[in-house]
Amino acid sequence: MKKTFSVNLGNRVYNIDEDAYLKLSAYLERIEGHFSDLKEREDIINDIELRISELFTERLGVNKQVVTLVDVDEVIRIMGDPHEIGGSQEEEPRNTWERRSGTKRIYRDPDDRMIGGVCSGLAAYTNIDPVIMRLIFVVLLFMGIGALAYIILWIVVPEARTTAQKLEMRGDSVNASNIGNFFRDEFENVKKSFRRRKS
Amino acid sequence: MDFENAKAQMRKGVLEFCILSILSKGDAYATDILNKLKESQLIVVEGTLYPLLSRQKNSGLLSYRWEESTQGPPRKYYALTEKGSEVLKELESSWRELIDAVDSILKK
Repeated sequence: MKKTFSVNLGNRVYNIDEDAYLKLSAYLERIEGHFSDLKEREDIINDIELRISELFTERLGVNKQVVTLVDVDEVIRIMGDPHEIGGSQEEEPRNTWERRSGTKRIYRDPDDRMIGGVCSGLAAYTNIDPVIMRLIFVVLLFMGIGALAYIILWIVVPEARTTAQKLEMRGDSVNASNIGNFFRDEFENVKKSFRRRKS
Repeated sequence: MDFENAKAQMRKGVLEFCILSILSKGDAYATDILNKLKESQLIVVEGTLYPLLSRQKNSGLLSYRWEESTQGPPRKYYALTEKGSEVLKELESSWRELIDAVDSILKK
């Protein structure tokens, strides 16, 4: 037995399995992210949803009333991943929007912090496990310089507030598909922690 | 990889030309256009078409109307506007010029 959702795509209602639903909505979010810099975005998304709706209709019938993960995978293959689709403004004046591609900057990490997020931020910058970074600071604390160093860093290093800054903190380039991936990861995290709390 | 970009730009230009050309033979909805483009292997993933259609519509080359369908969701039928057919004529002549020019260089 599987749980299903009912969704409205192009003004038609479809029953869709939970896993298929999650995959499809993540895909549509990525598409939306891909075209986020275009003023025609809404039109394009509507057209794409309409086409997906049509593809679902072709796959459903009396003997098959639910959209499954296999259907969604196939539809995504037909429609194409954002990088295959192209057509967003980002790829025309190349490298203008991706100006900070791959550069890494030190930020404090507000999502993984014990005190001010200094250690996890430094850990992201140096690719060291945050726990080890914290241990280093504990050792420094006993040597008498840890507290002062920490406070200075807390003041000097900015906090990563926006998605772009969080990507920069990890050294990912700031472009639409990375932002899309970032949100997908975040969404998965929220889902996991929600499940954990329920059980 | 500037070469890849050049290829993508070339393909995109040709695609816009072909969309107008398909519509000059009669109104069509996205899936009709897609099938023709796929037949001639001009398009790999379907998603590529929609941003092009929206852009052409917004620059006044195309108009659209809704039509009900018995088999699925309502369909958006696209038609060439007057401006669209003028642009198509220009594109056709510059396409021939381009082919002749490239041919003459390739044959040398």
